[in-house]
Amino acid sequence: MNAPTESYLKVHYELRPAKQVERRMLIDAFQLLSLSGFSIKDYQYTGMGSFYFIDFSLFHRWLGFKKMLSVEYSNKIRKRVQFNKPFDFIEIKIAPIGDVIPTLSPDLKHALWLDYDGILNESHLADISLATTYLSVGSILLITVDIEPPTDTDDPKDWRNYFVEEIGLPSSLRASQFAESKLPARNIDAISRAISEGILGRPEVRFLPLFNFIYSDGHLMLTVGGMIGTGTERRKIVKGPIAKALYYRGDWKAEPCRISVPRLTRKERQFLDSKMPCGENWKPKEFELDAESVAAYREIYRFCPAYAEFLL
Amino acid sequence: MFTRDISLEDCILDLIDNSIDGLIKSRNLDISSSLLNGKNRASKTSKLPTIKVSYSDTEFTIADECGGIPLQDALDDAFNFGHAAGESSGSLGVYGIGLKRAIFKIGELFEIKSHTTKDGFSIDLDVKKWAQKDSNLKDWTIPLTPKGGVLPNKAGTVITIRRLRPEVAMLIKAGGMDERLRRTVSKTYGLFLDRFVRIKLNGTAVEPFHIPIGESAEVTPAHDEFQDGDVRVRLFASLAARGPNQEWRGDVAGWYALCNGRIVVAADKTDLTGWGTIPSESGFLPQFHSGKFRGFIGVAFFESTNPLALPWTTTKRGLNRESPVYLRARNRMRGIARPIITFLDSLYKAEAPEETTGRNIADAVKATNLSTIAAQPQSTFSVTPRGRTSARATVSIQFEADRRDVDRVRKHIKHFKWGANKIGSYTFEHYLKTECPE
Repeated sequence: MNAPTESYLKVHYELRPAKQVERRMLIDAFQLLSLSGFSIKDYQYTGMGSFYFIDFSLFHRWLGFKKMLSVEYSNKIRKRVQFNKPFDFIEIKIAPIGDVIPTLSPDLKHALWLDYDGILNESHLADISLATTYLSVGSILLITVDIEPPTDTDDPKDWRNYFVEEIGLPSSLRASQFAESKLPARNIDAISRAISEGILGRPEVRFLPLFNFIYSDGHLMLTVGGMIGTGTERRKIVKGPIAKALYYRGDWKAEPCRISVPRLTRKERQFLDSKMPCGENWKPKEFELDAESVAAYREIYRFCPAYAEFLL
Repeated sequence: MFTRDISLEDCILDLIDNSIDGLIKSRNLDISSSLLNGKNRASKTSKLPTIKVSYSDTEFTIADECGGIPLQDALDDAFNFGHAAGESSGSLGVYGIGLKRAIFKIGELFEIKSHTTKDGFSIDLDVKKWAQKDSNLKDWTIPLTPKGGVLPNKAGTVITIRRLRPEVAMLIKAGGMDERLRRTVSKTYGLFLDRFVRIKLNGTAVEPFHIPIGESAEVTPAHDEFQDGDVRVRLFASLAARGPNQEWRGDVAGWYALCNGRIVVAADKTDLTGWGTIPSESGFLPQFHSGKFRGFIGVAFFESTNPLALPWTTTKRGLNRESPVYLRARNRMRGIARPIITFLDSLYKAEAPEETTGRNIADAVKATNLSTIAAQPQSTFSVTPRGRTSARATVSIQFEADRRDVDRVRKHIKHFKWGANKIGSYTFEHYLKTECPE
């Protein structure tokens, strides 16, 4: 099977501001779900923590997860993963995530983050299908993939071929439907199909979309997520506070939540924060910043990390 | 009518199903608990009810000792066209048409004698003449003569069909069917044969086929279960046991699907059982690779007291892809198969240091019974290598010591004849005992 990419060698995971905004939004979302009666702190969090474990640290501290499992594919960093785990209770499994999903306890609710760093491939789709086959009712599934063009060429025809031949999208789709701006939607199409495939034979449940983030810390990434639920879970979601959150996406066909972190100086940011939440057309007079950047910042300022150098 | 010889095989299997159903009913067998409960196979000589199938190009006979068809069932269902309310209570003969269809397809003259312990009946029918009478609805029932009951060891059914249809006679005469039918019966009824029943084809007993699923001290097979409406689903998957030449056999690898114990799909390697359809190395499951994956065996066991709820096709030689219970099962079959595929993959990776260990583990896998796996708690497939990295549990110690020091010890412990070797091991044991208590 395809080995996952080793992005931990390329990117320092702690320095990805957009990803960090996304994590903080997810924490916010999980807190809102807790208010609607989902006991998130009792969920098992399963992620692909590499040896950075940023999501594990944040989720344990802020959400109180007590059962956490990190799945790492590469045997080459077995010791490093073990060495860096931030809390003793975190369980580590060195295996393909697809081998682990069927072992997730049906007696627990899960938050499973399939946090891939490569472009969507058939192996990812298999994992997604397995997740919707096995995850218990009330569990949350998050999927992150790189949504840059899937080939090195600039031709949407090649991208179409990839999605038709490798991913299994219908061959009736035309190359124009694989224009760069449409790739997020095509990725969502493929993920949705895998979800539907996996959930077949579970007539009592549906996949209830919650998130659809697009962000970039270099590569354009997509994170979609939702809950395996029945009518009861659906009602709790649509009537609860999460349905009013600005990042909530109950329908993946709607415009995604784009996380864009404007490049601001520390001084500019402090100034902007003092004006937040600002009105629709507000712009600072003190320095040049276009309305688009202000609007983007207004959406994320609560979740935006601040980086500083410090001596350990 | 018989454009493909497989249809004749289906007919014969239908007749055997009918006999086995009779056995289940007359003995009140609880198939779902019996087939996987570890009931041992009977010895070759012990007495089991036998189904004897004999055929030549002029006559076909099936004679069983399976308890017979109750007269009322024959009147209501077996020899009446159209279903009576509440029928289809058999475990295998789900489609009541099976018996009639089989008889009509094989020949034009048939004779049936069936006796239970309570009653019985006989039928003597010339199909051509009977079909000409079509003036009222009653003409659609097959005339039968009621008979009395018999002793339990005589209860059974004998069906003799003569004036075979030309295509049937031709197929039988052409030869080749015997071996094919033997293989099919052996596989289809593998779990029943020598346990509940014997089947003889033209006088020779059919040997049961064993699904070559394996396990060892290091290899734990996957076992998953769920209930879906009326259907209980049990899934097992593991490495295959090696064949007689210590090799995995590609022809028996893959998924087996059983409905109430009858194998409906054998050694499947297609998308029907979740394998990939494109030759990439990834997928829901990858495409079945005849080299790498011939060590894979999976078994999907569907059981229900309501055979109509089972995901088999009307020929009982396939799975209904649209059946919700099967769709659910197939996704879970993919799930439990994944770790096995990962293991098999690892055996063929050139850079894998564990390659030899993996192969040794695979070599040590021995054939097991489904009942043994079914008795174990649900689990995923796992491989736990045991002590292969240091095969020896002991290590030898050698060191130089001053002769005078050895003499001092010898005197001190008053064993003047002990050699240096003995002194060495004695002092080591003494240290172990006094300084390192367990």
